[in-house]
Amino acid sequence: YGIGKWIRKPECRNINRTWCDLSNETSDYEEQYYASVKAFLNGMFSEWVETTRFNPLTDTKLDPPMVSVSSTEKSISIILTAPEKWKRSPEEESISLLQVYPGLQYNVSVLNKKTKKRVSFEKDVELFLLNLCSVLLEIGFSKEHCIATLKDK
Amino acid sequence: TAGNKIFHFGACRVSTSMTEIRAGFTAIKANIQARDPIRSLSILSYPHSLHKVKSSDRCCITHHLFNFYVDKVFKHCRTEDSFVNRKISSIANSFLSVRRKLGQCHEQNQCMCGQESTEKFKQILANYEGLNVTSAAMKSLGELDILLDWME
Repeated sequence: YGIGKWIRKPECRNINRTWCDLSNETSDYEEQYYASVKAFLNGMFSEWVETTRFNPLTDTKLDPPMVSVSSTEKSISIILTAPEKWKRSPEEESISLLQVYPGLQYNVSVLNKKTKKRVSFEKDVELFLLNLCSVLLEIGFSKEHCIATLKDK
Repeated sequence: TAGNKIFHFGACRVSTSMTEIRAGFTAIKANIQARDPIRSLSILSYPHSLHKVKSSDRCCITHHLFNFYVDKVFKHCRTEDSFVNRKISSIANSFLSVRRKLGQCHEQNQCMCGQESTEKFKQILANYEGLNVTSAAMKSLGELDILLDWME
C-alpha cells in the first residue's frame, strides 16, 4: 500500500486451489498491503477483486508460546518462549515476537483436576517461579497436604 | 484510567487512552479504508515509513501529527453513517487531550524539532495537499493504525 506497484506472484497463477501463501510478500511488518485476484475460464475473465488493507502488526494471529516446567523443593519454574516471526527460509535469523510486540504478555493458569479449582497469573516475563505452597493452597490442597508433599520430596 | 498508556518522549510524558483509540478505529477501519480507492499513495508512509524517524525526533513528529489530525483530518471526515461519525469524534476528543499535553511539552522545550522531523512532516503535508481535502482526510484517517503502530 502507498507504492502503487503490484507484486506478481508466479506460484499463484493458473491455479485451481483456493488459497495462496503471501507470507513472503507481506513479511515487512512496517508496511501495509492489499492483495487482488481474478478468475478466468476458457478466455473469460472476472473483474479484479481486492482484499481489505492488511496490516501485519495488527492483523497477525499469535501462536501460543512454548512452555516448559521444572520444579524444585519449594517452587515450580515455568519457562515461556514467545513464538517466532515467520521466516522466509530456515537459514534466516530467528526473530522472537517479543521484538515485534514489546508489550507481549501471558496469562498462565494452574488447574487442580480434582477440585477443578484454577489460579491464574498475568506475566510479562518469560521465566518466573511460582511458590509451590501458595499455589497448592489456592487450588484446593489443604495446608497439611502442602507440608507433607514438601517433606516427602 | 484503564487502557491508558504513558508515552515517554525524553522528558515529555504523555498519557494516552490508546486502548480506547484503537478500539474506536478498529470499529470503523474497514468502512473508512473502503472509502479510499487510491493504492499508489500513502500520506504517512510515502516515501519513507514513520519507523525510519530518529528517536530524538519522535516527540516533535508526534506533536506535528496530532496537530495535523486535529486541524486537517477529523473535521473533514463526516460520513452519512452516524455510528462512524460518533467513533470519529470520540477518537478526535482523545487526540485533542494528547495534543494539549504535547503542546505543553513543546512550550517547555521538551519536544524539540530537528531537521529530520521537519522534513518528514513537510513530506506528509505535501502528500496530503496532493489530493482534494476530503480524499486526503479520509486517507489520513484510514492510516491512523500506521500512526498508532509507530507510537507503540
